[in-house]
Amino acid sequence: MAKLPNGKQLPGKLFVVEGIDGSGKSTQLDLLRKWLISEGYCVAFSEWNSSPVVRATTRRGKKKQILSPTTFSLIHAADFADRMEQQMLPALKAGAIVLADRYMYTAFGRDVVRGVHPQWVRKIYSFAVRPTVAFYFRVPLQESINRIALGRPQLKYYEAGLDLGLSNDPFESFRLFQKRITREYEKMVDEFGLTVIDATLRLTEQQEMIREIVVPHLKGVLKAERSAWRDVLTKEQLYGRYLMDIGAERGQK
Amino acid sequence: MTQVKFYGYGLPMMKKGELPGRLIVLEGTDGVGRSTQVALLREWLESSGYAVVSSGLKRSNLAGKGISLAQEGHHLGDATSCLFYATDLADRLERETIPALRAGFVVLTDRYIYSVIARALVRGIARKWVHNVLGFALVPDKVFYLRADLNHLIPRVLNARGFNYWESGMDFMSKRDYYDSYVEYQSQIIAQFDAMGDEFNFHLIDATHSVHDVFVDLRNGISKLIKGMRLGSPRMPKKKR
Repeated sequence: MAKLPNGKQLPGKLFVVEGIDGSGKSTQLDLLRKWLISEGYCVAFSEWNSSPVVRATTRRGKKKQILSPTTFSLIHAADFADRMEQQMLPALKAGAIVLADRYMYTAFGRDVVRGVHPQWVRKIYSFAVRPTVAFYFRVPLQESINRIALGRPQLKYYEAGLDLGLSNDPFESFRLFQKRITREYEKMVDEFGLTVIDATLRLTEQQEMIREIVVPHLKGVLKAERSAWRDVLTKEQLYGRYLMDIGAERGQK
Repeated sequence: MTQVKFYGYGLPMMKKGELPGRLIVLEGTDGVGRSTQVALLREWLESSGYAVVSSGLKRSNLAGKGISLAQEGHHLGDATSCLFYATDLADRLERETIPALRAGFVVLTDRYIYSVIARALVRGIARKWVHNVLGFALVPDKVFYLRADLNHLIPRVLNARGFNYWESGMDFMSKRDYYDSYVEYQSQIIAQFDAMGDEFNFHLIDATHSVHDVFVDLRNGISKLIKGMRLGSPRMPKKKR
């Protein structure tokens, strides 16, 4: 059940993925999303740091490198609050499935490593809906770094944790930063009852495990007639050539 | 001296101790004349030889622009708005206010956390949550609360710029009419400020009086605070001849 902080149950379900960069969580969430849609469920998706209202400010802060541990934490909380109020909560009230790529645990990891008080940041996120399941993708540090190094020739300032002054070398700084975040995540497994997924397993194996955990929660969840137009096409002998333009097939690609 | 004392968990890596400057806050509802008084006080302080910086909500390098843009579209939810303002306050505190206090400036600030608290509380946000969020805020040397009732405020607002969407609480009040909404919203805000007076040790200033009378009251209050401060702007490095 997805629950409001006061314990009230919401009709929708909230599944979140967490883990350090390169743990493969986004890939798994994407696979889950496509599968849920193909099964006919109503799925909303929300990604960390993507609020249309707040994001420009965060980007400004990162670009100019003017974020302190406190403002870094607050602006990400503002971004989260906006997405909670505008995207996630309405969908959960309507009985849909909400998938979140990173959730408050990301803040509890990163911000605390940056030096803010663990209780301060936990209390800030006290308005957040309690997820139905929070998956934590556990990965050996070196493995995740290898994956990141493959895809990204250069690390950004805050991404690499260069603001912490751990090392002047971006990759070394990144390694030390991720190591500390992992330590925080491991503490959170018990604190918040995170569901651990072994991220060294094959992609398909992980996905199978995730679906097995998700399925029992899907009873009574809102389903949508995704292809309401199909019937018309058959009866009227049309191809639906222009349906793509209006996004009728969105989510099926 | 401004004691390094915070309302809550404070700012990470900030040492306890004293700052040679003074942090002075002017609070009060919209249209009560805060910005006029800040402008007058700044001039008076500077002509008396003090180094002054003034600041106010939405003036941070980081978040000021973002909040204004978001408000134009009426897009801000309650928690989002509070956190956005908190970001703005924290940015100015860390990057302007505290460095200025350390350098011995008088910092005059037009609104502080109390306005953010009042706005959040009338919108039904939990007090404990708001207080925790704003727990990074430095406790000021003095908070002057400029108070005027609605009968005095309304003509001023009409003369100055008319009713504004946010100042009328149109984002959450059920009334569709700006005037009714303004009256109800500002009454609630004033009630919140009144209730905060004891908790945060506000120095009450009757802002129904003339601009000059209010100025004199503020000047008298500030004079006591700055007694014993070293005069002159922070020492500039001497030029080598």
